[in-house]
This record gives sequence, C-alpha cells and structure tokens, in this order.
Amino acid sequence: MREEQFWLLVSLKLSGEATAEDLAALDRLLEQHPEMGARLETLHDWWGHRSPSTPRLKKGAFQRHLRRLNESEHLPSRGPWRRRLYLLTAGVAACITAVLLFIHPRAPGTKIPQPVAQSTVSTKKGSKSKIQLPDGSQVWLNADSRITYNESFRGAAREVQLCGEAYFDVVKDRNHPFIIHTSTIDVLVLGTVLNVRSYSNETNTEAVLIHGSVQVTLRGHPEKKIILQPNDKLVVQNGKGVVVSGAGKAVSREADTSRVMRLGKVHFQERDSVATEVLWVKNKLAFDQESLENVALKIERWFNVKVVITNASLQHTEYSGVFEDESLPQVMEALRLTGNFHYTIHRREVTIRP
Amino acid sequence: MKAYKRLYELLSEGLYRFTYSMVRSAEVAEEIVSDVFIKVWQIRSKLSEIDNLRVYLYTIARNFSLNYLARNADSRVIGLDSLSSGFLVEGNSPAEIVISADLVNQMRRIIQQLPPQCRLIFQLVREEGLKYKEVAAILDISPFTVRNQMAIAIQKIGAAPLLKDIFSSLGTYD
Repeated sequence: MREEQFWLLVSLKLSGEATAEDLAALDRLLEQHPEMGARLETLHDWWGHRSPSTPRLKKGAFQRHLRRLNESEHLPSRGPWRRRLYLLTAGVAACITAVLLFIHPRAPGTKIPQPVAQSTVSTKKGSKSKIQLPDGSQVWLNADSRITYNESFRGAAREVQLCGEAYFDVVKDRNHPFIIHTSTIDVLVLGTVLNVRSYSNETNTEAVLIHGSVQVTLRGHPEKKIILQPNDKLVVQNGKGVVVSGAGKAVSREADTSRVMRLGKVHFQERDSVATEVLWVKNKLAFDQESLENVALKIERWFNVKVVITNASLQHTEYSGVFEDESLPQVMEALRLTGNFHYTIHRREVTIRP
Repeated sequence: MKAYKRLYELLSEGLYRFTYSMVRSAEVAEEIVSDVFIKVWQIRSKLSEIDNLRVYLYTIARNFSLNYLARNADSRVIGLDSLSSGFLVEGNSPAEIVISADLVNQMRRIIQQLPPQCRLIFQLVREEGLKYKEVAAILDISPFTVRNQMAIAIQKIGAAPLLKDIFSSLGTYD
C-alpha cells in the first residue's frame, strides 16, 4: 500500500473533505490492510472530541472589548453609544444568520456532512473511456484520469473537476457556461472542442483549443485571464501559476501578463490532420519533442507499466513520434533507434539506461 | 447590541484560539480579537457584502497577528513558516474517551512538533471546523497545500507509537 495515499484519504475523511470516491478508495485499502482498521477507529474517536482545556478568553472579555471599542470611537460613554449599537443591530443580524448557517452544520460533535451527490468517472492506466455528460457534452478520458461532476449537472454553470487528461466536445449553451477545474487552471468554455491535460505527477498543465473559444484563469490569480484561439496551446507550470512555455513559437497576448501567461501553437504531424496533442483520442500514442521523462510517463499510462530511467542525463533528451496499434516492445524499439539508450522490459517494468 | 454581542460570542473564542496559537500571549491574543471586532464595527455598513464573514474575520486576525509578530521580532519579515512552534490547542478530554491519556499526550506532542504552517492548518481544520478552501483563503495558500499538509499531519499523528500498539496489543491476545 502506498502510505501517503492512505493517509491522504484518512485526512480527507476526518476533515469531511472526502468525495464518495475517496471514501470508496479508503474502504478498498482497509479491506486489503485490515490491521489499519483499529488505528483508524481510534483516530476517528480522537478527532471528534474537544477538550475543555483549550485556551479561552478570560471572563469579561466582551466588556473590555466594548471599552476599547468605545475609546477607538472617541464616544462619550453612555447615551449616544447605545443608539449606535442599535443601528448596528439590523445589519449584523443578517450576518449572524449567515454565520449560523455556516457554523451550524459543522458544530463540534456533529457528523461530517456528506458531499453533494457527485458522479466520478475514472480510468486506470492502460485504458481510456468515453462518456456523455448530462448536458450532452462528450468527454474522452485518457488513461489514469478522473473526472467528477455534480450528478444533476444543473445550476448556473456546468462544472467538472479534472485530474489527468481529457478531450472535451462541449455542447453550446450560453446561459450555462461549462467550467473545467484543474489543480492549476480553470477553463471557461462556451461551446467548443478542447483538450486539457493536468496530471498531478507532471510538471505542466496544458490546455489545447481545437474549435471555438475558451477563457483560462490561473488558480489563485482570478485576475490573470487569457483567451485561447483555435490551435492555441497554453502551458502552465503545476503548482506555480507560472506559464513556462508553449510548444513552438511563444506568443504573448497581453504585455502585463507576459511573464505569467505564454502561448504557443499546437503541432501537426505530417499525414495527420489532427493536432499531436489530441491524437490519443484517435487511439494514437504521440510524442512531440517531448523529454524522455514525459515520454516515460505517457508510456506508463498507455501500457500500464512502470518505466525507470536510470540516468538523469537521459531524462531531458527529446523524442517525437506517432504510434498506432504498436506494442510496447515496438514503441521502445523505435525510440531506441532514434535515441541513444538501451532498455530492458521485465514483466511490467521497463528500464532505460545509457 | 444583542446582535453584535451574539456575533462576538459566536466567533470570539475560535478567533482567540487561532490568534493565541500564533502570538502565544493571552493578553495580546485578547487584544487582537478585540481589534478584529472593532474592525467589524467600523465596517458594519458593509458587512452584508462580505461573502464568508467567518473566513474574513480569521483573515483579519491572521494579518493582525502577523503584524504583531513582525513588530516584535527585530523587524524581521515574518511569514507563517517562521513562526516558532509552541502551543497548540489540543482537543481531547481523556476522561471522555476510550483512548488513554498517554496516547492523547503523545499525539499532542506530535502536533506540537509539526512545522508551524502545518500545525496552523491542522488547527484551523480540526479545532475550528473550517473547510480546506476556507483555510486556504485565510492563510493565503493553495487548497492543495492545505490538503497535502493535512495528509502529512495525519500521517505523523497516525504514526504515534501508542496508536500502533493498539493493534499489536490486540494481536498478542490471540
């Protein structure tokens, strides 16, 4: 069992942040490792209890506060003061309602609230999937990816959360914008075809637009917006909110965001009318001047194998190529011919060495 | 008056715990909480425009605490990462629950030894019952950092030797 994954799921469960899928994954892990059950139960008990010994405000804190408030307002101590507080009441009452609503469901000792019913579709390594969303939009999900959306898919916006890579053909609906959330960027779509790639174990998140128009926002920087045109490719470094580069010529759309947002164009391989970035939808494994490190990640997901590169200097050598219906040995052999390395395939592990 | 007092009662203790764990002085923490509510008073006409009042007030408390720490630390720039680790609110009454006082103490020690930012995140999630998104807003970090730091905290707490013993002692009865 991957320890980190287990504790991540446990922490999500305790915090009430776990999705239905997280909880199912945790249950599966516990089935495999029943010895963790007792520990988890104790942790759960411990989590849910509050101590009477936590530091508390000393008695009379509110009165002392009122005196300080009074001083800060330079008010005489009696008459007008009271009237002012009454004025405040109406405004604050509304807020309190909001505060109560917010606090109440999470009061100490209550059960962790269940998340809204969500649908999750996920693919394992070595497999792909095509799904239709409730609004008719179609999504091709690449290997080792996951898409989550509200079951009803109603409300002001159609929102999906993506981990991994997916190709979207979004049904046009001006009144209900379609938003794709990833860990790094949010993509606002108005009816279009695009590919979004956001694997947590890769350095970059990429958005490629095929038709239509989309607006991309960087997570944590809602002011940084960029509009993509067809065949634009946006590359954002994961976890940084900094765009590193686009494939091909980088174009800056706006001077003031140029350091953060840089764009490039998608690449077309000869013979193919489809951009390299989305060839996977046509069941083609494609590399486009990609580092061996990235190539290895793609191969891992495509063939469900583990790829080990023994020598760091190999990781940044670049490869291009398109493969259709080729086996793992055929792909590796082709890469070896163009590159300068040796490899061995043993069971489900590929080792690449100089 | 009633409403203002009610708001104070609702939020002051949580804000105090949070502030206390940053400044570690009862007087200073009380003063900062008071400052936060003076701010509430000053902006009372705009309160209804605030999206999530609770997160907003925690954010103010955090800023006031960091300002205080900066003023009192030889003009060094203070970030959450450089807070010295120390007191943390601990949440259990051993008498109430099945787990032993020793185990609770062990967990408390582990929590105290967490890196400062990790400890604050843990406290806001567990003690104040805040959501990851809200903690991220308060501490001005990404929700994914909150998620990762929480996983790290729980992994460390889950590795408490006495917690492991629960299973091994059960095992020896077989």
